[in-house]
Amino acid sequence: MRIGVIGLILSPTFSFLEMMWRICPALAVGCTVVVLVPPGSPTPLLLAQLAGELGSFPGILNVINGPASLGPILASQPGVQKVTFCGAVEEGRVLRRTLAGQGAELGLALGAESLLVLTEAADVDSAVEGVVDAAWSDRSAGGLRLLIQESVWDETMRRLQERMARLRGGRGLDGAVDMGARGAAAHDLAQRYVREAQSQGAQVFQAGDVPSVSPFFPPTLVSDLPPASPCTQAEVPWPVVVASPFRTAKEALAVANGTPRGGSASVWSERLGQALELGYGLRVGTVWINAHGLRHPEVPTGGCKESGSSWHGGPDGLYEYLRPSGTPARLPSLSENLNYDTFGLAVPLTLPSGPEIGPSPAAPYGLFIGGRFQAPGARSSRCIQDSKGNLQAYVAEGGAKDIRGAVEAAHQAAPGWVSQPPGARASLLWALASALERRESAFTSALERHGVELKTAKVEVELSARRLRAWGARAQAQGHLLQVAELRGPVLRLREPLGVLAIVCPDEWPLLAFASLLAAALAHGNAVVLVPSGVCPIPALEVCQDMATLLPAGLVNVVTGDRDHLTRCLALHQDVQALWYFGSAQGSQFVEWASAGNLKPVWVNRGRPRAWDQEAQGAGPELGLRAARTKALWLPMGD
Amino acid sequence: MPSSFCVFKYFFEHRYRHYQRAGDCDLSWISKIQVNQPAVLRRAEQIQARRMVKKEWQAAWLLKAVTFIDLTTLSGDDTSSNVQRLCYKAKYPIREDLLKALNVHDKGLTTAAVCVYPARVCDAVKALKAAGSTIPVASVATGFPAGQTHLKTRLEEIRLAVEDGATEIDVVINRTLVLTGQWEALYDEIRQFRKACGEAHLKTILATGELGSLTNVYKASMIAMMAGSDFIKTSTGKETVNATFPVAIVMLRAIRDFFWKTGNKIGFKPAGGIRSAKDSLAWLSLIKEELGDEWLTPELFRIGASTLLSDIERQIYHHVTGRYAAYHDLPMS
Repeated sequence: MRIGVIGLILSPTFSFLEMMWRICPALAVGCTVVVLVPPGSPTPLLLAQLAGELGSFPGILNVINGPASLGPILASQPGVQKVTFCGAVEEGRVLRRTLAGQGAELGLALGAESLLVLTEAADVDSAVEGVVDAAWSDRSAGGLRLLIQESVWDETMRRLQERMARLRGGRGLDGAVDMGARGAAAHDLAQRYVREAQSQGAQVFQAGDVPSVSPFFPPTLVSDLPPASPCTQAEVPWPVVVASPFRTAKEALAVANGTPRGGSASVWSERLGQALELGYGLRVGTVWINAHGLRHPEVPTGGCKESGSSWHGGPDGLYEYLRPSGTPARLPSLSENLNYDTFGLAVPLTLPSGPEIGPSPAAPYGLFIGGRFQAPGARSSRCIQDSKGNLQAYVAEGGAKDIRGAVEAAHQAAPGWVSQPPGARASLLWALASALERRESAFTSALERHGVELKTAKVEVELSARRLRAWGARAQAQGHLLQVAELRGPVLRLREPLGVLAIVCPDEWPLLAFASLLAAALAHGNAVVLVPSGVCPIPALEVCQDMATLLPAGLVNVVTGDRDHLTRCLALHQDVQALWYFGSAQGSQFVEWASAGNLKPVWVNRGRPRAWDQEAQGAGPELGLRAARTKALWLPMGD
Repeated sequence: MPSSFCVFKYFFEHRYRHYQRAGDCDLSWISKIQVNQPAVLRRAEQIQARRMVKKEWQAAWLLKAVTFIDLTTLSGDDTSSNVQRLCYKAKYPIREDLLKALNVHDKGLTTAAVCVYPARVCDAVKALKAAGSTIPVASVATGFPAGQTHLKTRLEEIRLAVEDGATEIDVVINRTLVLTGQWEALYDEIRQFRKACGEAHLKTILATGELGSLTNVYKASMIAMMAGSDFIKTSTGKETVNATFPVAIVMLRAIRDFFWKTGNKIGFKPAGGIRSAKDSLAWLSLIKEELGDEWLTPELFRIGASTLLSDIERQIYHHVTGRYAAYHDLPMS
């Protein structure tokens, strides 16, 4: 079902088409939209006027002209369910921090830089045309990072420079120009970047028939920029192209994936195998093979890493504006006095309330990291009490170091898990489900000791096994073919794993929630770091015993300890690709705030419990959607 | 605004460069070439959409386009009467009063050449001499249009046409050799054509509609240039697909690459399917974009057309008088 009221915040250099691509799906599924545009653009106002003349539904589209500072105010209005922001990375980060804890969900579409990989098997002239489309035309979103294979470096540079000399710049409405201007701010940004690049030792080539007054900026080609210079890490502004060489396709992948941006890329190679390998290996949202800049409303367009995780177009674009039926609308849960610097920083001491009575429990559980149980770095444990207040067991007290180790182990196991065929993943999940069923009595008794009724406990265990099996069965290589009008050739919508997924499990339904979340994440090819329920981690740790023998080492890591402290470590970790948090409202707010660090997608529950036993909330398509990311692979065909 | 474009400089100077000598056959120039067809198609669409020319600049470009035309008649029913009419039209392509209105009547505006079958070369030479004109006569040869005759007769055709007075020869390549990948044999054949031409200008028709892929078009262009052609021509005009922009882009890229490698400028001629004045303007833009202004002279660029001239004349009439001409207003060609 539809979400509700959408707020849309656009950057100063937005294009009308971008705005329409976000408004139309929202209206189509039944949401109403409020758009904040920078002052000085009358076209959206005209659109709103036309929308207002529709008669029966005034107010479905509202446009406000105002400065960017109105953004947080718009987002914190009661009733706004989702805010989409398109613009620069830094502003996106600031917005993410300001909106932590607010009612509205935030979708970010940041950055405009793209990437072009030119291999030696490419049609170099056509690739040069691709560079022109990507960086030196009015359709290009931003600057371009160009990777050229060394063997064709000279040829490509020569053709690029020839082609630049033929470009014409001028006023945008003149029919005979290739590129216009984007305002004084864009001009200054490009000017600064070029000057800095020159001072860091790069070669700058500018050409083209472009007026030399501001705001017109000539097409620029920067080469020989040292890889360690700050300009290589900064986003490339329009209309600059930064060229760097690479030796082999594998090196190209390493260089290309080595920036925090993950928007769009194109691969130029006439060898099908090489093109597909690069296409699948690039961590971006859209890959074009032997083309650049193709767009269509049916194809999902978005990004990953620091390009934000908001999508437009295709099914993903529609899911942005929908939420599962039956889930309630989001309410703000802002706690004004949450101190982000001290939340979860120190672990509160947990001393036992009295002397130990009764038989001493078994040896303390360790942390399950890297496929085996290890002692925690801090060498301390916490006691877990059962529903009557008696001591049930000791579990390890995990800390920052353990989280670091767990994430590293998960990263090491991730490539192997991704390359497993879906059938192998399914069979492992099924084996885990069988192991769960075999030890049903152990799990039931552990749950009973925590005050869960026997009947409910049995249901919980059975459902957990069933969920594992269900997700295992759904572990196909998920991707399907889109047929796009006006394009000869297929477009693949691939669903790829996120990478390392961190999950903080809820206190309700300790075993079932653990199993559901784990199953969904594993079925989609992720490696996981889990923090089980604080009050009842024993069932999760028991499952770890089975996982130690069945699953590859490091694929699943379970760290027990103080929930707030561990959440803090995971949320601030730059190498965790996504974080699911089911805990307190304050924790949710912190997680949203901290995710601004590497702009990881987060899923929080704002302190509200979920009914994990119901299909819609415990095993619905929402989990599947959040457990993987989409990539659109364009394959234009023709000979 | 369209850039200043020097229109009137090359109207009547039919000075020829010295003809191309054959170079060596270096297959490494074509071994690693790949052409990506969808990307070339996209570029072709772009070029047609941009670079519009309007008003008096359009009139100037149209007059310039007239000087590139090889006025052609290649039908089974050619006789000396229609060849004579054609030659006269070549000498006076645009009606005198229209030229006077545009103030170019004294520039000696003619088409670049007249193109006929080998048997009609004598008639054309006679007619042009009678009209007192130095316009060259181009003859097609080597089994035009299919080229599926013995090499001996093909070479003999060239020699006979040159003897009759043709100063430009349009040959067709052997598509069989291209489709079977026999590049060295193709090079040898074209070299023999070059020798048979002697001092006449050699235009090599690649018949791109029958070559199968854009990669083959590029390779055939390179081989033809290496073997000593003065021009490469897209098509005979008799195939199902004649001169299209994607094919032209590939050939122009080959010409530019050859120029970078050897310093020799080879000419380009699209033929077949160019019927409207708007098309001709698009072709001029294409050459200007891909190769630059130096290629916009009759020595390096020709358009093979027959009905194009009447459409251009019609456009000029409209520009001068503001009215659309009827069929009978303008002289027949």
